[in-house]
This record gives sequence, structure tokens and C-alpha cells, in this order.
Amino acid sequence: MDLSPREAVPTAVGKPRKRPWLAVGVLVAVLAGAGVLVFKFLTNAVDYYCNVDEIGVKDGCDVGRSIRIQGVVDQGSVTGEGLNFVISYNGQSMPVVVGSKPTGIFSECVPVVVSGKVVENADGRVFEGREVIVKHDNQYDAENADRLAQGEAEAAACLRKD
Amino acid sequence: MDPTASTPSTTATVRRPTSTRFTRGLGVAVIVGAAWVALFGLVLSPNDALQKTGVRILYIHVPSAWLAYLAFIVTGISSAGYLWKRTRSLVWDRVAGASAEVGVLFMGITLVTGSLWGSITWGTYWTWDSRLTTTAFLFVTYIGYLAVRGLGGTLHQRARRSAILALFAVLEVPLVHFSVKWWRPLHQNESVAEGELEDMMLFTLFSGIVTFTLLYVWLVIHRQRTLALDDSVAEHGLDAALAERRQEALQ
Amino acid sequence: MIAMLNAPHVIGSYVVTFGAIALYTWRMLARARQSARNVPPEELPWT
Repeated sequence: MDLSPREAVPTAVGKPRKRPWLAVGVLVAVLAGAGVLVFKFLTNAVDYYCNVDEIGVKDGCDVGRSIRIQGVVDQGSVTGEGLNFVISYNGQSMPVVVGSKPTGIFSECVPVVVSGKVVENADGRVFEGREVIVKHDNQYDAENADRLAQGEAEAAACLRKD
Repeated sequence: MDPTASTPSTTATVRRPTSTRFTRGLGVAVIVGAAWVALFGLVLSPNDALQKTGVRILYIHVPSAWLAYLAFIVTGISSAGYLWKRTRSLVWDRVAGASAEVGVLFMGITLVTGSLWGSITWGTYWTWDSRLTTTAFLFVTYIGYLAVRGLGGTLHQRARRSAILALFAVLEVPLVHFSVKWWRPLHQNESVAEGELEDMMLFTLFSGIVTFTLLYVWLVIHRQRTLALDDSVAEHGLDAALAERRQEALQ
Repeated sequence: MIAMLNAPHVIGSYVVTFGAIALYTWRMLARARQSARNVPPEELPWT
């Protein structure tokens, strides 16, 4: 049995290993992926983010332009299974028409973000939405504990905005 | 062949070569913790008033995100440890690599659970929101980091190259974290920091964070040791080849 | 457990999380076992 101490092989640490092409491939894919991410982010961020009360007031929130609009769904305004509703923000309201039924936790008195554009017609301004996203706030409450209080508070807040 | 190479000390070390008494204890704690989180997250905690069951996903989504950040920060610190001459050691490099890999795993979990949550709550799996996009970018960056580690070269070349990259990559972590405050995004702020979670939910989330942190420590210890084994296999592969060549020359 | 709303998403997220971690762990340990056969015991200083 060989009991002599193993020789230190300093060259081992300095030994160049063969270049694995898998890693190179992954790296190329990563660079491409990062490029796509940046591109998508920049092109999507082009849609200006406006609150209901900023339409026609703030720069970039013009009628006819592709924007994202934020507001709270008015109580009792949801009709056509969610295809029509009214959103409000800071005392201003805007009717919204969407092509497909909103999903998620969409309901009355929840804040939503709708992408689309404001159009003028005989009845005034209407927001033609492509996509509705529910903007979830920071409140987390047990469902049953104070549902009534929560519901009342939301309804009150909702009604106040009308 | 090197005669010692194929004679491991005990069978236990062959079956569990990267395990020690400490990691076994830690492993048991992680398994208990995972069962605990699943029990509280799926059964015992209440539904949220607005999100209903969606909130249950957050008990794993938030800890995963936290761990991915932690992992990438540890990678950054270890990389600095390697680059600083007085503390230069390949151990730093392995910890950096192990932590980045575990971080990528958790970041992937964060993205998947987040999109499931988004589908329930927002009504969409994905949106090009600043938080989501910067998180995806962070994920892709660290996949790139792992690829750079695999590019070959000597162990010190690998360590130096990846350490420099890690010091740049870690700068993205605050970018992701503050993206919620800097842009007007869909993604909400950190609710934990602002104390808006109901008690039972807070407790469940806290259990998740503790469990996932222990899991992170366990994974990094094992992965770091696995990397050490891989590195020495690479060395001994050369050792054995040299010995064989020497043997041939003697004949 | 009461009948859960969005059960596929909620349970799916737990399954994906724990499944991914388990798979990663299992592969890592298998790899370690394989590598350990090719190195001498003194390369495992933690044991």
C-alpha cells in the first residue's frame, strides 16, 4: 500500500479546461433574452400611465392616444357581464368599454388599470379598453373577521368618489 | 490510477458525501418547516377579503423573492472576498457560485408563483410592469453569470472572471427592489414593511421566510461542497493522467 | 380543507415550488455522490 503523501500538483489549479460550448450557447441566449426584455419594457412603457382626472389635462394623457388609465370601478356601474363599467379617480369619472370580460379579482370598488385609448363620441368621452388589470392594493384582511367593516368602508369610499 | 482515489473512508461519506451532523439537523428543520408552511399556508390561514385564496401563494412567493435577493447579495460579498487579495481563496468563489445557482432557482420560483398569483389577482399572468421586468432581467443576468462560470479556463480564471461580473450584477438588486417606488407600477409595495398584514397571515409569511432561509443555508452548504468535489475531480483527473504517463515512461 | 377557489393555481404554486427544490436537491446530491467516488477522502475536509 502506498502511504507516501500525495504530491501537490500546482499545475492542476492552473490547468485550462476545455471550453464547453453549452455555456457559450446559454450565454448567447441570455444576451438575446436580456435584449428582448429591455425592448419589451421600453415599448410597453411608452403607453403613458394616467389617472382618470388627468385625461385631457396632463401632457401625454390626450384623447385618442394609446394610454393606460387608472381608476376605481364605480359601484353599480358594471353591466354586460363586465364589458361595460365606469371608473373614477379624484372625483372624475370615465365610462369604459372592453372587448373581453375582465378576470382576476375584478369587481366593483377595486382599483383597475385599463390599457386602450379615450375616444370622443356623441355621448362624450369613452375609454376603449384592450386589457383590464386589477391593481391590487396593500390591504390584507382575513375574509371573515371584519368583512362587514371592510365592505362598508369600501362602499363608503366608493360612494364618496361618485 | 491513484490508489487512494477509489478508496473512500466510509460508506456513509460515499452515500452522503456532502452531509455532516449540522446539515442533517438543518435538513430535518427544513422538512418540518416546509410541512408547517404548507399546513398554515394552505389550510389554517384565512382567505383574504379581496384576493380570497390568492393570498396563499404569497407565503411562498415572498420568501422566494427575499431569498433570491439574499443569495445574489451573498454572491456579491463572496466575490469581493475572492477579489480582495488578503482573503483570496477558491472557497469564496465556490460559495459565490453555489449561492448564485440557488438564487436562480428561487428567482425562477418567484417568477412562476408570481405569475400564478397575478393570474388570480390581476387577471393576467404577465405584464411588462417595472417590477416584473426588472425581476426577469435579474433572473436572466444570473443565468448569464452561471454560464460565464462554465466557460472553462483555470479555476482562478473562472473565479476572477465571475467575481468581477457578480460585483456588477449585484447592483441590479436595489434596482429591482426600488422599482416599485421609482416607477408607477402594478406591483404593490412591500406590505410586510408597512405592517398591513393581518396577524395570522403575518405569522404564516414569517414561517415561510424562516423556513426558506434555513433551506437556503442548507442548499448553499451542500452545493458549495459539491463544487469543491467537482473541482478536485478536475484536478485528480489530471493527477491520474500524469501518473499514468509517468508509469509508461518507466516501462 | 374547504373547497378552494382557484385551487389549481394555489396548489400548483406549492407543488411547483417544493417540486423544483426537491428536484434540484436530488440532482445535486446524486452529483456529489458520483464525484465523491473519484476523489480521495482527504478532499472531504468537512466529514
